[in-house]
Amino acid sequence: MIVTNDLTRRFGDLVAVDSLNLKVERGEIFGFLGPNGAGKTTTVRMLAALIAPTSGEATVAGLRLGVSNREIRQKVGVLTETPGLYRRLSAWDNLLFFARLHRVPSPEERVERYLKMFELWDRRDAPAGGYSKGMRQKLAIARALLHEPEILFLDEPTASLDPEAAKVVRDLIETLQTKERTIFLCTHNLDEADRLCDRVALFNQRLITVGEPQRLREEMYGRRTVIHLADPRPGIEDALDLPFVKSVERLENKLVIGLDDPERENPLLVSRLVELGAQIQFVNELRVSLEDLYLDMIGGNDVPA
Amino acid sequence: MYRLRVILLKEWRESLRNKMVLFGVIFLPIILVGMSVYMIALGEGANDPVAQIIVFNTSLMYFLILPAIIPLAIAVYSIVGEKDQATLEPLLATPISDLELFLGKALASVIPAVVVNWVSFGAFLGITRLLVGAVPLQTLTLPWLASIFGLSPLLALFSVGVTMLVSSRASDARAAYQFSSFAILPGLVPLIIYSSQKTLVDLKLVALEGGVLLVASAVVLYFAIRVFRREQILTRWK
Repeated sequence: MIVTNDLTRRFGDLVAVDSLNLKVERGEIFGFLGPNGAGKTTTVRMLAALIAPTSGEATVAGLRLGVSNREIRQKVGVLTETPGLYRRLSAWDNLLFFARLHRVPSPEERVERYLKMFELWDRRDAPAGGYSKGMRQKLAIARALLHEPEILFLDEPTASLDPEAAKVVRDLIETLQTKERTIFLCTHNLDEADRLCDRVALFNQRLITVGEPQRLREEMYGRRTVIHLADPRPGIEDALDLPFVKSVERLENKLVIGLDDPERENPLLVSRLVELGAQIQFVNELRVSLEDLYLDMIGGNDVPA
Repeated sequence: MYRLRVILLKEWRESLRNKMVLFGVIFLPIILVGMSVYMIALGEGANDPVAQIIVFNTSLMYFLILPAIIPLAIAVYSIVGEKDQATLEPLLATPISDLELFLGKALASVIPAVVVNWVSFGAFLGITRLLVGAVPLQTLTLPWLASIFGLSPLLALFSVGVTMLVSSRASDARAAYQFSSFAILPGLVPLIIYSSQKTLVDLKLVALEGGVLLVASAVVLYFAIRVFRREQILTRWK
């Protein structure tokens, strides 16, 4: 759906996006993660045919960037970082204006459908300037979707929202994913990315890594099982002589054990520990947050050995 | 053409909800029509023919100032308003072309300016007839009509071009309005000279002013179109 090949954008001496190579599949929610100033918005602007790359090339929805820009803009929807609504105009007028610019067939019907879908129908005649932040963001998302784009770019969709409004918007994004629609989500809300995205890319002017969140975690940290013991039983970790155990770390009454295939190996591990006299209270998998992964890769944490 | 019309209608819809714009489009013409009628009444009562001509010329000048001033507020709010509301990027993300956007914004200011000016002139003629009895023959001459119907659109175009250039660099509507008001003054200088003439405006003067405005508008619009490119708007505009 989106393929970039050494896509680069410079502003004078500043390299905002450096040789980006990316492939985003149809129907996936793709998280584009990076700190402020990483070049995420510049990337979205290039992919939405708003600004030209300095070098490199890309195809968006099967169309070549720089050759079919107008057609690309017809096939993508963009939610900018700020909702960007005409405050003096009503929700109805805001949407109708954009529906007409996209030459949507029967624009009034389409606007009505989206206002109802986003539960804004009852306030359709109120000026958008009087809406709450959450309502404005919903209206902006409705505007980005009006022409039913194949690709939806969402730039920090929950950045300025309170937790309640952010949840509403996140739930909404989840419902937007279809087999036909690709969602390109720029965010530095890592919890949001972890929950919503099929794959994520870590980006800071250059692409650092890309993959499914869980796979990235496994690649970086491996899989680890945590065994909570009722009593410390010193030395039990040294007696754990199973060949599949990759590492054992003791944290007070807990054993953190590195494994390749916990689904198969955990039962054997638990049996062996019981044989060794351990009284097991809980067994769970150690989940490293995407935040840790992000901080380790972008900078800010000590990278684990 | 369709998207151009969509932009035009949106601009007007927004303008109708903006008090600053409404003041410029409705109250300013009313004030200037009132002053013109007063000038004519004053001229009719004057015994000195030279003084009479100067007063009539001043009256005409008001109808050449209006098309330059009316578009200021519309054009300033049309551009600075988009910046202030952060609506430019969503707008540019649609399939609209740079030229359609530019023309939509420009015509949204030029058309009301010209129409309001002509309507004001009509009102001036009507009110003068009612109050003074008849419109003085010196004012309904070919040079007068050529000025009002020929120069008004050029003045409005020049004014819009200047305002769009200024607004692209401004983030505050009031500052843009004030700066634009100064920047359009060169276009009005020949009109100020008119009003001090001791002879009535003639066609040669009108043609000269028309020529100057045509060249000035072409230059200003050329630069305004260059500034009105997606890339420029998103990366260079303040």
